[in-house]
Amino acid sequence: MKRRIGFGGIAITLLVFLLSAAAPAFAAEKSDAGPKPERLLVLAPEYPGIISTPGKEISMDLNLINRGRTDELVDLKVTQTPPGWKAKIKTYRYTVSGVHVPADDKRSLTFEAVPDKETGPGEYAFQVEAVTRDGRFRLSQKIVITLQGDQEAKEQDTGVKLTTSYPVIRGPSDATFEFSVEVDSRLDKEAVFDLFGQGPKGWEVNFKPSYETKFISSLRLKANQSQSIAVQVKPAPNQPAGEYPIAVRVASGDAKAEANLTVVLTGTYEIEAGTTSGLLSLEARPGKAANVSFYVKNTGSAPNTNIRFMTFKPENWKVEFKPEKIDAIEPGALKQVEMIVTPYEEALVGDYSVAVKIDGEKTSRNLEFRVSVKASAAWAWVGIAIIVAVIAGLLFLFRKLGRR
Amino acid sequence: MNGLAAIVRKELADHFSSYRFVILFALIAMVSLITAYMVGLRIRGAEGELKPQFVFLMIFAERGAMFSLVEFVAFFGPLVGLVLGFDAINRERNEGTLSKILAQPIFRDVVINGKFLAGVIMIAVLLTAIVLVITGLGLAVVGVVPGPEELLRVAVYLVVSIVYVALWLGVAILFSILFRSTATSALASLAVWIFFSFFVTIGASILANALLGQATDLRPEQAMRKIAAVRQVALVSPMELYSEATATVIDPMRRSARSFIPGGPLEALSMTRFSGPLAFGQSLLVVMPHIITLLAVTVVCFAISYTVFMRQEIRSL
Repeated sequence: MKRRIGFGGIAITLLVFLLSAAAPAFAAEKSDAGPKPERLLVLAPEYPGIISTPGKEISMDLNLINRGRTDELVDLKVTQTPPGWKAKIKTYRYTVSGVHVPADDKRSLTFEAVPDKETGPGEYAFQVEAVTRDGRFRLSQKIVITLQGDQEAKEQDTGVKLTTSYPVIRGPSDATFEFSVEVDSRLDKEAVFDLFGQGPKGWEVNFKPSYETKFISSLRLKANQSQSIAVQVKPAPNQPAGEYPIAVRVASGDAKAEANLTVVLTGTYEIEAGTTSGLLSLEARPGKAANVSFYVKNTGSAPNTNIRFMTFKPENWKVEFKPEKIDAIEPGALKQVEMIVTPYEEALVGDYSVAVKIDGEKTSRNLEFRVSVKASAAWAWVGIAIIVAVIAGLLFLFRKLGRR
Repeated sequence: MNGLAAIVRKELADHFSSYRFVILFALIAMVSLITAYMVGLRIRGAEGELKPQFVFLMIFAERGAMFSLVEFVAFFGPLVGLVLGFDAINRERNEGTLSKILAQPIFRDVVINGKFLAGVIMIAVLLTAIVLVITGLGLAVVGVVPGPEELLRVAVYLVVSIVYVALWLGVAILFSILFRSTATSALASLAVWIFFSFFVTIGASILANALLGQATDLRPEQAMRKIAAVRQVALVSPMELYSEATATVIDPMRRSARSFIPGGPLEALSMTRFSGPLAFGQSLLVVMPHIITLLAVTVVCFAISYTVFMRQEIRSL
């Protein structure tokens, strides 16, 4: 036991020794220049040259590195600011004019430059100066911001942005369309944005919060907040198939943005059916065919194809259609269909319901006929013939046998 | 035709003064009245529960205690005809009055025509009286004024009933010609009545059972065939003919004279969609064969009586 501890102790000692020997070697490699000077200070902006667009604020790190062996107190100043800009040095919390940098350490500050709204494209040079309290070190760095103005950049400049993932939606003419639009405020203060929507004549364009049913016409956004809202579009009735643009606009003071949405209508599928006289009843005799003709009209805005007829009828009845099916009806067109109803031979007298389902590929329509089955009058004639024959026979008997 | 009028007048006088007719009439009128009154009470009691469409016709068609008025006339109406006719000729013959009548300037055919006509008039008066009394009672008890279609249906019912009872009058007169004894003719006509009214109906189902097997283990088609066969046989009975005809005429909701109708579920559904009463003409057309058969049988029955009577020898005892 004792021996083993002894071995362990030796191993740990060896390890510690090795590590302590290696550490100065790494440090030496890193500093690269042997022993440190008494005092050495470096001022380094993160990006000495920046290309940006007008209206956008610039913010970057400004590093102060102390390579010496003495703690330093440094005063900081932006000595040169081009006109039309405001520049300051700050931490995450304060605007600062001085900073303490301990020996062999580094401090990161934020350099922030805010252009005025009118500040146009061009090259702007900033000068940042760091001076130690004793004035021994005077460090100065130049930062150049180049503003490039183009069309796109200008739009983004307005302080609010409208984006949508699905700018084009297609669907039938009687559907309601919902676009999801993201309103992205770039203002640095809370603002109320008015919402405007403009569609073709007769169309309804409404805004509502996502997943809510109420309509809104304005939206309050905090600084740099973004929120997604839904744009509900209801096409005007009887719109033919086609593409329809919807313009959506948000505005708050000078900040405004526009987005163009597109609704593609594929048309509605609707059919109407009835008889020309409006009469939905017919008379029939048991076992005898009865005709009725009805029309099928396409009242939608897209052609209806492959229209078939299905019937609900009593057992043993026959219902036929001429033609058996309609291949296609154009919008607004009308087709005549002949229906032949043959009641069962032993059908009872009375009113029956025969329903026809006019079944298109996309839509269907029901039509119910009242079929009055009437008693056959043939029996009445046979009966009258029998009665006449019997009475004739009686009269014959009267003549032959009477008056005795 | 002076002779005919005289005979009819004398016959009517005889009938109206005879006790047996008065008793019979009183009996039938009483039963009819009680039936109608009970039906009336029931309809009134059902007030609010249901809203029947032809309340007035229900007085005739609904069952009161045991049977409806229509059924009652179908069962016992023939008795009136039989009582009026069973001794029409042979009593005259037995009393020797027939040869006395024929000694007058009266033709022989006038005698039989007059007797039949007088009987039909009696029946008409009797039935009309009953129907009118019941109508009045119905008005009083139920308080529903009949519409024109209801009156038409009742009128047709009355005519068919007169024909039906006249048929049994004709049968009775035929037996009174065939048999000398009034007791024999009375028994014979009663036997025929019982046979056609009761035995035929029972016999039909016995016959069908014998031909097509018992009713317990039958498939629907077989059962329907059997019911159709029973009906074919049963329709030989004038009572069956009359019952089917009047039930359909009186009840506008009945679509067929048959009591069993094969029908699929779709058909039932299709019919209930517009379940309304039949038009009067349609009801009449449905039972036209029944009415015509009754009428023809009545006329044929009278024609046979007529022929037999005209060829018979008339001798006083």
